[in-house]
Amino acid sequence: MKELQQIIQAFEQACLKNQKTALATVVHVEGSSYRGPGARMLITETGMLTGAISGGCLEGDALRKALAVMMEGKPMLATYDTSDEDDAVIGVGLGCSGIIRVLIEPVVPEHASNPVALLQQVVQKREPSVLLTFFSLHNKWAEQQGTRLLLKADGTMLQAAPLPAAAMPDAAAAFENKATAFIEYPGQLSAFVEYITPPLALVVAGAGNDVLPLVQMAAVLGWDVTLVDGRPNYASTRRFPGCRLVVADPAAALQNLEVDDQTAVVLMTHNYNYDKALLKSLLQLPVHYIGMLGPKKKLARMQAELEEEGMAFSQEIAARVYSPVGLDIGADTAEEIALAVLAEIKAVFAGRKGGSLRHATGSIHERNTEIVAKE
Amino acid sequence: MMAAPIYLDYCATTPCDPRVVQGMLPHFTSRFGNAASRDHSFGWMAKEAVEQAREQVAALVQAGPQQIVFTSGATEAINLALKGLAEACPHKGKHIITAKTEHRAVLDTCSWLEEKGFSITLLDVDADGCVRPEDVAQAIRKDTLCVALMYANNETGVIHPVREIGALAKKHNVYFVCDATQAAGKIPVSVVEDHIDLMAFSAHKLYGPMGAGALYVSNVRHILPQQHGGAHERSRRSGTLNTPGIVGFGLAADICRQEMAADAKRLRQLRNRLERELQDLVPGTAVNGNGPRLPHVSNMLFPGIDSEQLLLAVSARLALSRGSACSGLVQQPSHVLMAMGLTREETLRAVRISLGRFTTADEINTAVAVLSSAVRELQQINAQV
Repeated sequence: MKELQQIIQAFEQACLKNQKTALATVVHVEGSSYRGPGARMLITETGMLTGAISGGCLEGDALRKALAVMMEGKPMLATYDTSDEDDAVIGVGLGCSGIIRVLIEPVVPEHASNPVALLQQVVQKREPSVLLTFFSLHNKWAEQQGTRLLLKADGTMLQAAPLPAAAMPDAAAAFENKATAFIEYPGQLSAFVEYITPPLALVVAGAGNDVLPLVQMAAVLGWDVTLVDGRPNYASTRRFPGCRLVVADPAAALQNLEVDDQTAVVLMTHNYNYDKALLKSLLQLPVHYIGMLGPKKKLARMQAELEEEGMAFSQEIAARVYSPVGLDIGADTAEEIALAVLAEIKAVFAGRKGGSLRHATGSIHERNTEIVAKE
Repeated sequence: MMAAPIYLDYCATTPCDPRVVQGMLPHFTSRFGNAASRDHSFGWMAKEAVEQAREQVAALVQAGPQQIVFTSGATEAINLALKGLAEACPHKGKHIITAKTEHRAVLDTCSWLEEKGFSITLLDVDADGCVRPEDVAQAIRKDTLCVALMYANNETGVIHPVREIGALAKKHNVYFVCDATQAAGKIPVSVVEDHIDLMAFSAHKLYGPMGAGALYVSNVRHILPQQHGGAHERSRRSGTLNTPGIVGFGLAADICRQEMAADAKRLRQLRNRLERELQDLVPGTAVNGNGPRLPHVSNMLFPGIDSEQLLLAVSARLALSRGSACSGLVQQPSHVLMAMGLTREETLRAVRISLGRFTTADEINTAVAVLSSAVRELQQINAQV
């Protein structure tokens, strides 16, 4: 999501300078690759790159192809076979073996539904989106290729060109399944039906010095960060530039917050009563992750008190509370704790346990890239 | 589609002259015969066309038509010359003299021969990019088979003292193999006056088609064939002749022979103006290669930029080339500029600009404006990083 925002920004700058651009999108991968379908890169006519489609191996060649695409004014599908060790383009030593398909399309700013305009809709509102990017496995210069349809959960729609009849129902199905799909339509056109969730949102209660690294690292990850604290001299833009700030007591704070199922909340006010008040309210909201700084004893005491106050602490509710907060990586300093907390949040929302990959069986990425043929 | 960029990479390849294409076209359709078909008019006509082209190509370099062997291009001609010579003269010794600034076609073929037991002397060049005849003289040994030196360099346009080298080779009774790919058709080349025994050149560098080249062989006994199967080209190079390509080569050679003096005069003026104006507009810009140079080539060093970055940045407007070759992920510095004493970093700032028959004064004006502003812009960006 951060990548999309950077691409949009780079596109706007290129437009100001009257520069042509092209968008490269990884639309399909067979086998393993560093970046999966949905990785994107913007290329300007002066050779500036924003975003990435690989770990650096394909960018140089894709850049030249993109310059050719800008000159031709037509989309093109580039196919890279990284299993070919003798490939002169990629060179040896890649160590991956996969077939990566990258659609490179010109972006025409004058077109209201150009690919970047569609991406703009994806990032604009915190709503899931479905984006359809068409490519042809049979004709790499097929003109109908491109980023063509955007749908948002709230009903927003942007369409760039006539689509195969089945495309709209397939997009709706992606919403229902909350999953990305690859579909081949009759007439040589395939679609990368991409289900995109909003970026993780992080709400941090507390604006002490130990929160600084947490906020900075979350920004690197491209997460939306909101800071909640009752002390205006702590929760200030001077200390936390580029961060949404809510200065309020616990009861009022939550009224100012919008939480959704992609939001994680971390309580680190170092103020027992402030934490407790927030926890009480949060437990009644659909928040999947509530992390709280402090030892097990603190949570036990809080739970006992809340139950005394008449709150039922069901297993389902308790499962959403992560305290002591963070993965067990031996974190000690504020920076290390920030790392442990962010890693735990990432793992929870990805449905992973957070161990070492070397102990994992199966592939690193859970990608289903089978192309389903449609009648 | 947007307007095509201005093409200033004539050293890489030249567009076919439309007159050449017109002459080639019938040989794809109505006059399609195989020059080796001896029993019908289609074959006879094809053979006539090939023989006329042979005369035209020979005339360009003051050779006899029977001394021209058609190949697929200069690289094949160089391979045939060096390997064919090595095989034909086992008694003459196994030492080859060449230079560090030669084209890969020569260097790689020499390396291959080295693996087969030849010893190779790689001459240095001076800061101007030139091979010194005295170095050649000094390197000649009793067992020297040949001197393999190019006519003019493909990256800098520097012209070697070919006549002196040829005379030296003749005096010491060693063969002179010359890669004239960049020079033939651009400046007067005479295999006789330059005492050249074997000379490679190519159609697509002189406004002919790709896929056609020639090896001049002063005496048939000098080489053994490297490709067998049909004894074409008087057994020196088997394989069905590329009649349309050869016809195009002949026409292109003929046009060059008549027009190259005028082209050279015009291009030299444009090239000199381009260099002067760029040096005025971008302080610190230097020209690589000094002394006699091909009239249409310039190799320039711009301060504070990376040449790949520059060429991609201007690619929508200008088609230029880096002096260096890029292999895989690692950008290799130009072996030619390195041999001239430039540092690795300097070579990565070098750009080759090569003009040609269809280059106009207006295009040079645009090139100067686009290049100078792009260099300045990149200098600013790079200074910030």
